[in-house]
Amino acid sequence: MADALITVLDASNYVLILMLVALGLAIVFGLMNVINMAHGEFMMLGAYTVLTVERAGGTYWLGLVAAPLVVGAVGLLVEEVVIRRIYHRFLDTILATWGLSLLFKQAIVLLFGPGSFSVTTPMDLSVDILGTPYPAFRLFIMAVAVATVAFTFWLFFRTRFGLAARGVIANRDMASCLGIDTRRLDRLTFAYGAALAGLAGAVMAPMISLDPQMGLGYLVPAFLAILVGGLGSIAGPLAGAAAVGATDNLTATFFSPVWAQLVVFVTAIVVIRVLPRGLVAARRRES
Amino acid sequence: MLTRRGFVAGATATGALAATGGFPAIAASTITIGAVQPFSGGLELFGNQAKLGLDLAVKEINAAGGIMGHKVEVKYEDNKTDPKTSVERTTSLIRRDKVLALSGPITSSARDAMAPTVKRLKTPLLYATNYEGGACDRYLFSFNTVPNQELEKLLPAMQERAGTSYYMFGADYVWPQKMFEAAEKIVDGMGGKTVGKEFTPWGVKEFAPVVRRIKDSGAKVLVFALPGADGITFVKQAEDLGLLKDVTVAFLGFAETYLGAFGAGKGQNMWVTVPFAASSDEPGVKDFVARIRAEAGDGVPISHYVMTHYNSMMALKGALEKAGKVDKEALIDGLEGLAFDTPTGSAAIGAADHHVTMNMYLAKTEGDGLKIVEPLGRLAPKAGCG
Repeated sequence: MADALITVLDASNYVLILMLVALGLAIVFGLMNVINMAHGEFMMLGAYTVLTVERAGGTYWLGLVAAPLVVGAVGLLVEEVVIRRIYHRFLDTILATWGLSLLFKQAIVLLFGPGSFSVTTPMDLSVDILGTPYPAFRLFIMAVAVATVAFTFWLFFRTRFGLAARGVIANRDMASCLGIDTRRLDRLTFAYGAALAGLAGAVMAPMISLDPQMGLGYLVPAFLAILVGGLGSIAGPLAGAAAVGATDNLTATFFSPVWAQLVVFVTAIVVIRVLPRGLVAARRRES
Repeated sequence: MLTRRGFVAGATATGALAATGGFPAIAASTITIGAVQPFSGGLELFGNQAKLGLDLAVKEINAAGGIMGHKVEVKYEDNKTDPKTSVERTTSLIRRDKVLALSGPITSSARDAMAPTVKRLKTPLLYATNYEGGACDRYLFSFNTVPNQELEKLLPAMQERAGTSYYMFGADYVWPQKMFEAAEKIVDGMGGKTVGKEFTPWGVKEFAPVVRRIKDSGAKVLVFALPGADGITFVKQAEDLGLLKDVTVAFLGFAETYLGAFGAGKGQNMWVTVPFAASSDEPGVKDFVARIRAEAGDGVPISHYVMTHYNSMMALKGALEKAGKVDKEALIDGLEGLAFDTPTGSAAIGAADHHVTMNMYLAKTEGDGLKIVEPLGRLAPKAGCG
């Protein structure tokens, strides 16, 4: 019983982290039609923000608050300088954001060097779950992920901003005719996506090695989650993240990480073949 | 370093004959060594470590009058941690820059990719990274360790201190697989038991399932071969999930570059055997560390990669002087069977296998350093040649 519970907790942990990463990516990719190859690097920037704050003498919690703000601001800048010029050139977004990812990585190499860093685990204590000690920080990460997902749903489905944003997604020209400032919404949506990546990087920072290449390890499963889950909605990528994360983690638990990778990709191919529009097909029509 | 010296393609096919007009006293030609090392693409740390050693060696050789009056220079090329780029750089260094010998790379995949080129163009490659063994050719020399040198004293030491059951976990590529093969034989030989062996693909960020499995296996020793950032991530998570309280880690391929990456007070009591530890009390090592520090500053970690690359240049000097002339074949003949001095004492290159017998040390991580527990004396390599 205890074993099963721990297995479920470990799997949920990974699923929720993946949701946190995929959510930002999904908002930018699914809603704005920009394939953001630099999403992993936004995460990395979030983690390095925490590192910088910690080095300057601040606490982890200060870094955790600063990271989404800093990365959101970077996102705003990137949208203004690069992304807004290529909304209509779908394939070019891949090239441009990939270039950005190289730029960010190299900037980190220049500023911090190519080596690995670590951030101290802020809660160095364990909670006893049916006799098995479980790191409290992992529970905290899960709570952050759940709260962020809930907040995002609230933002997009319960606020005027969300209504307008969904309006722009559904029909940009019509929304603009109705007096909605589409530029402002594009800017904010992209910045929000970037801020989510920054937050994900910051919460993960104490669990992993901080290095310039760290983004890729999450970008790939997050993209997979979006493809499996389906584009154009917020629920899709979450379902995808649950499917990809749980398959990966459970296969790794009962077999091995090598099999996990194999099973995840094969399952993804099967899902995409059987349900080309993803697990949660978008209800909106192509505009 | 990046500016190309005006080079004159010599009439003789004997390596680099770049003109060195203003060199005083002796107007001998410069010996150029080509270094194909990663300075971008993920393994920069190791490339930089190699460069520290090579630069110091060249500086000292030139300060002492060069090799038989020839000044030495190293021409660095960035292989971007990529085998294909390594081959391109190798070809251009040999053909365009007329290097006498090559140094590098770090990864086995890059070395294996370069091997056919150096054989075809008959240019010795001085490889100074620990690897899985089996790279044997007239034109290949290895200055770091092969599996038996790292394992044959480390595992008995673990058995004595931690227990007789072993779990092996590493990255899914050739080096960990060969390491574990060798390790299993040693474990069997001393009556221990391998309770699990497992590999992971690169780039995994969540190790909780593996950590739980190792914990459940009841193993006392974790033989660990997951290099780089993934290894750091694993150790961090293993520590958080309480695994490091139950098992003692035998860390393969460890270098001082890892220190500090685990965080203060973390990653303690991990055991290694290394050909060099910067914290050693031996006068030779202390002196070497001081010389590197004078060049590179205080903040830089100094790992065995620095020393093995330094050694490879010093061996090159010894070999050319032994042979009495500067050409590629003479260099190889000189290197075969060469005994030379290193910061950790004397070392010898096998005449047949081209691998190095050298002093090794049992050490463990303690505080923020690597502490030598016991000098193991000279260990001969089992290079796996034929």
